[in-house]
Amino acid sequence: MSAPLRISRLAAALLLVLVLSCGCSGESGTIRLTLATFGEFGYRELVETFERENPGITVVTRVTDFDSHHKALATALGTGRGAPDVVAIEEQYLPSMRQAADKFVDLSTFGADKLRSRWAEWKWAGGLAGDRVIGLGTDMGGLAMCYRRDLFAAAGLPTDREAVARLWPTWRAFAGVAEQFAASAPDGVHFTDSAANVFQSMVSQLDHNYFATDGSYVAGRNERLKQAFTLAGLLGARGHTAKVQPFTQEWSTAIRSGKVATVSCPSWMLALIRNAAGPHGEGRWDIATVPGGTGNRGGSYLAIPAQTKHARQAYRLAEWLTAPEQQRRSFLTTGLLPSCPEVYRDPAIRSRRDEYFSNAPVGKIYAAAADKLRPTFRGVDDAKVRPRFDAALGRIEEGALGVPEAFREAVEQGREALEGG
Amino acid sequence: MGGRAAGYLLLAPFLVVFAVFGLLPMLFTAWVSLHDWHLLDGPRSFTGTGNYLRLLSDWRFYNALGNTVSIFLLSTVVQLLAALGLAALLNRPLRAATWWRAGVLLPNVVSVVAVALVFGQLFGDTSGTVNAVLQSLGLDPVDWHGDRLAAHLAVSVMVIWRWTGYNALLYLAAMQSIPQERYDAAALDGASRWRAFWSITVPGIRPTILFTVVISTIGGLQLFTEPQLFDPLGTAGTGGTDRQFQTLVMYLYERGFTDYDAGYAAAVAWAVVAVSGIVVLVNFGLVRRMVARS
Repeated sequence: MSAPLRISRLAAALLLVLVLSCGCSGESGTIRLTLATFGEFGYRELVETFERENPGITVVTRVTDFDSHHKALATALGTGRGAPDVVAIEEQYLPSMRQAADKFVDLSTFGADKLRSRWAEWKWAGGLAGDRVIGLGTDMGGLAMCYRRDLFAAAGLPTDREAVARLWPTWRAFAGVAEQFAASAPDGVHFTDSAANVFQSMVSQLDHNYFATDGSYVAGRNERLKQAFTLAGLLGARGHTAKVQPFTQEWSTAIRSGKVATVSCPSWMLALIRNAAGPHGEGRWDIATVPGGTGNRGGSYLAIPAQTKHARQAYRLAEWLTAPEQQRRSFLTTGLLPSCPEVYRDPAIRSRRDEYFSNAPVGKIYAAAADKLRPTFRGVDDAKVRPRFDAALGRIEEGALGVPEAFREAVEQGREALEGG
Repeated sequence: MGGRAAGYLLLAPFLVVFAVFGLLPMLFTAWVSLHDWHLLDGPRSFTGTGNYLRLLSDWRFYNALGNTVSIFLLSTVVQLLAALGLAALLNRPLRAATWWRAGVLLPNVVSVVAVALVFGQLFGDTSGTVNAVLQSLGLDPVDWHGDRLAAHLAVSVMVIWRWTGYNALLYLAAMQSIPQERYDAAALDGASRWRAFWSITVPGIRPTILFTVVISTIGGLQLFTEPQLFDPLGTAGTGGTDRQFQTLVMYLYERGFTDYDAGYAAAVAWAVVAVSGIVVLVNFGLVRRMVARS
């Protein structure tokens, strides 16, 4: 009789201990904020400055890889525990987070609604959920094409970035250059990294992709999506891709060992290439205009989960990190393209060059195009569908599927992923 | 009565921990699985057996089940046989025996993430060491992530490498409790070492063998980290471009944490429990038969 009772009392006591031991944080007087990001935001130095200017607040930065980061956030929001105080959210995950807007602090309660003019209009609008402000814009993902000067020279192609840009006004022309390159390329070198990376860049130039603006799934009917898939798929089918995806170990190995001649390059990709290629790549990589001119691929927001105990201080940090001055510094250290017109229109930014990338005028290439950027429409379930298309392109590269079958399969599996949720 | 109370008291810490971290989550998972439950939004509607019915007609579930069983069989059979051989070697007089015995456990204490990184480089499709060796021998490179069987083999190698030593130590402990007289008697009768091994050693450690079979079964059916990290896309991967090596728990992870469909993921979790239950029942039958025989 009494045993179960005792057990339940013990359980209660144990629970209490657990709760108590998790509840306290930091020593008295100082507030400890966690800032969770993925990839390279260049926040480490900025945070040190913030701590100096805000005595009494210490910031712990937590960096994980792209997918783990967003999955961990979803878990923390779902269970109501364990979310960081300030968290970065990438644009393709934002629509699904917007659906759970009440899990985030409405930043307008701290006056964020008055900051609107800081950002490019669409960037500001991306952080809204109805009349709530849930995210403050960090960077944008302006597009360009990175290429290896030495490998282009070896294949008898021009190396000058103006001349290279003239080779590929369109993606069709880009595919033509791939053939030319392959005809006289050094052994084992592929024209580009992966069909999926090309496809994602092409897709980000469309006004909508898998979903129509009313939210319906239109991948099977979107002719331009199909064209992009076909072109990227053919690059894979014809062996012009090294079958390596950014953010993977094999990609870094392929970049480091000079097996890849081009990488379609949102501004945040520069840091990835620099890290992967190392000192050896300096002066070998260069940046040219992307086929199709411009496009926006990626870019993030900072949000504050509603479970934070220090919303006011978290807001101060998020507001400060996304302010024009900090975005400027972030651009200078990591190459992340600012989303504040005040910064990307600044002549000092526009004249910026990147020594690593053969002194390429990154200010001119990325910042000058920033005004023209238009975001591609992202459906709520974008992040569910995109991997199915990437995987289908991988099947083409593996030689397991032809291009038309792969497209049909991707459309069908995308639909299955939607019906699942 | 007093003795019984003391027994309960001694068991209490385990029971409490089990209740809080085992039973409650399981019951909660069962509750979740009966709903259309969005990971972020919470429950949307009660659907009863809806998730389970969908599961039964989901080819991706059967695909994951097939992969899980295939990897489980490939890895467990080799692993336990290798462990048996290793234990037999370690059971003989060796110089620096402790060093060897501790050594076989090393693969097991290395962080699985580090293991996955190393094996990722070994089994890289384009820049992997194994393919480089194959090519230098004039053989064709293997598509380790694209080909289903090759992928299962690669994941199995990882599992085998991690767990063989652990099982070998369990076998070794059991072997040391076999009386030496039996071997002496067998030697007098003119039995070879090989014969003694199969007629004395293996029957002598039968309970331990069954124990390791049960443990590897449960571990094998819940296999997650090795194959998930074997996917070049890491946590974003779905076990290859065509789910070639997606296991049941990886599928659970995909549905729950990529698609945010917590209800469905919970149903997959219970399906794993059901499958494990069936295999455990089979094992239970085996145990009973063995006890009856000896």
